[in-house]
Amino acid sequence: MTEKPDTSRDERETVFIVDDDESIREGVSNLLEAVGINAKCYATAEGFCAHWSDAKAGCLLLDARLPGISGVEFQERLRTSGARIPVIFMTAHGDIPMVRKVMKAGAVEFLTKPFQREELLHAVEQAFASDRARRTEKAILDSIRARIDSLSPREQEVMAMVIAGFTNKDIAERLHLSIVTIKLHRGQVMRKMQADSLADLVKMSERISPARSAGNGVL
Amino acid sequence: MVGAEQNRLLQWMIVYGLKPCAIAGSFVVVALLWTFPLQHVIAYPFVFLFFGAIMGSAWFGGIIAGFIAVALSSVIVTYFFVPPLYSMYVAKESQSFFAAFILCSIAITVVSSSRKRAENAIRTARDELETKVQERTAELQRSTLEIKESERQQRMLTEAIPQQIWRTDAGGSIEYCNHHLCIYLGQRSEELQGEAFFNVIHPEDNPLFRKGWQAALRSGDRFEIEARVRSADGGYRWFLVRSIPQRREDGQIARWYGIHIDIEQQHRAQQNLVQAQDDLARMQRSFSMAEMAASIAHELNQPLTSLVTHAYACREWLQAKPANIEKASATAEKIIQESTRASVVVRRVRALFQKEEQVRELTSMNRLIQELARLLRDEAIRKDVSIRLLLAHDLPQLELDPVQIQQVILNLALNGMDALMQVAKPRELIIRTEKRGVGEILVAVEDHGPGIAPETAARMFEPFFSTKPQGTGMGLAICRGIIEAHDGKIWAENSVRGGATLQFTMRTQS
Repeated sequence: MTEKPDTSRDERETVFIVDDDESIREGVSNLLEAVGINAKCYATAEGFCAHWSDAKAGCLLLDARLPGISGVEFQERLRTSGARIPVIFMTAHGDIPMVRKVMKAGAVEFLTKPFQREELLHAVEQAFASDRARRTEKAILDSIRARIDSLSPREQEVMAMVIAGFTNKDIAERLHLSIVTIKLHRGQVMRKMQADSLADLVKMSERISPARSAGNGVL
Repeated sequence: MVGAEQNRLLQWMIVYGLKPCAIAGSFVVVALLWTFPLQHVIAYPFVFLFFGAIMGSAWFGGIIAGFIAVALSSVIVTYFFVPPLYSMYVAKESQSFFAAFILCSIAITVVSSSRKRAENAIRTARDELETKVQERTAELQRSTLEIKESERQQRMLTEAIPQQIWRTDAGGSIEYCNHHLCIYLGQRSEELQGEAFFNVIHPEDNPLFRKGWQAALRSGDRFEIEARVRSADGGYRWFLVRSIPQRREDGQIARWYGIHIDIEQQHRAQQNLVQAQDDLARMQRSFSMAEMAASIAHELNQPLTSLVTHAYACREWLQAKPANIEKASATAEKIIQESTRASVVVRRVRALFQKEEQVRELTSMNRLIQELARLLRDEAIRKDVSIRLLLAHDLPQLELDPVQIQQVILNLALNGMDALMQVAKPRELIIRTEKRGVGEILVAVEDHGPGIAPETAARMFEPFFSTKPQGTGMGLAICRGIIEAHDGKIWAENSVRGGATLQFTMRTQS
């Protein structure tokens, strides 16, 4: 299988800073700018939401205590809405339960104010890497889905049965078709799915729906 | 009755009959007896002698005696001296002389008797006057004695009262001091004239005392002041000095009476109380310090974070190839700003711990509340309460102790948050400022909790009154103490929307 570069990488990776204290926003964005990282500042989580979409590259640098929705609450909300942007938390004094909670919820790092340059940059690098991986993964999945969508309904039926481990003969019997027709459909599936082998096809299917791949074979 | 009637008649007869007859007879007889020998010395002596007799009779016997004398004299003169002699006949040529004699006699009688009457009246009047004068003199002597006695009693009374008493004239100079005052001051009242009157007052209280006393002298209003007065041994005690004017009937002030009541004990007790309140306020402040420490750390860490990141950024800008001097110097500027902010936080924290005498600084109430809201942020987040500030924009600045007033608002806000914990989310605490009437501003802390029970409302600002199981009952009492020390008023009421509003007013300086 070949990895294709994803389409949205042309946008620069950005650190989205959300903190109600202007001086913190200024300081952090100044430092990031100085080391050549793009940064955008928001005073509230709501302000950030209004300008952000999941397609944007980068990570979120979030103050744990915010007026209105707190940082911790906001992280939860992002997760339930399906957004996968990496989150770095920062706070002037976080208690251990809070740290445990946000880390469990998938935060990249928890920075305690005041933090050092390396701590911040390391966390940002980590978050960017994770974001990149996430975006690459997403691009691959998107392309597999696109390929499946290009199959005709009959071809999708055949593909599901192939993956489920049926032989050509079994498929022909079940679908009341000739073996030659099935072979033709199968050839089309392998070509359209850009699969080199049966194993390749199975892997692709598992990737988009790991839980269901072993099931009844209908996508 | 008949006897009395007869008696009166007899009296009347003696006075108006017998006595005038006797007097007239005697005078006329004397005149007649003198006439005979004198006949040989002067011509017609009987004229003068009988005139004299008539005059005498009228003078001493009254008009009745005078007329009797006139009658007797006429008869005698006719008989003895008018020709023809020794007969009752009057010769023709003597008739005019005789008539003139009778007329003159009558005139003399009338004049003499009326003179006598007038003189008698004057004498009677004088006698009466004299009697009256004597009576009056006796009366005066009696009342003088009485006054002296009452004065003596009054003095005994003023000496018996344990308080110090004095009296001044209308102008305020000392006339009298009672024994207690003289003993206390170690001076006699004569020594307390003029400036010495003020010299016994403590130098710190002196200007106010002098001003108050002189104002009272001018206006005639009663005068009352608390001041330290120096005793004979040089020590000072607190006295309540009170003076009231005594007015004459025309309304003018005659004199001032003053009393010194020793209030040293009360004063000491009050000072101890103030001290205790002070200590308690500080103690309570240090209790809440534990909770505040987190807030302070947060407050300090914010500028520190900004400082560190800016400093790193500055280094990056300088190390870039080529160095970005413009960005670096802008960043350095930010570093300076943030350092200042951090040092302000430190100063404020220090102020929380310092024990100071009464502080009055010209302060913006809104700024004070905004600062406090920052300190309260963590507590609010922990209790899930949002704090809304509704601050009036046109408030004048106030002379106050910022730390103490913040302490009050903090206390009210914490109370409000506690009340809000008893109701479901969302919880909102409102801190409001507004102008109220002339020269007053109002600070209100509103919650939408369960409100205040009527029996609580009356007592909630009293010391040791608490509705909370762990409460000391001092929080609101201290708040009241602080507000009252600022000449303000603090009270609580249930708001129309439900929940309680705790509020205080403060006077702006004119």
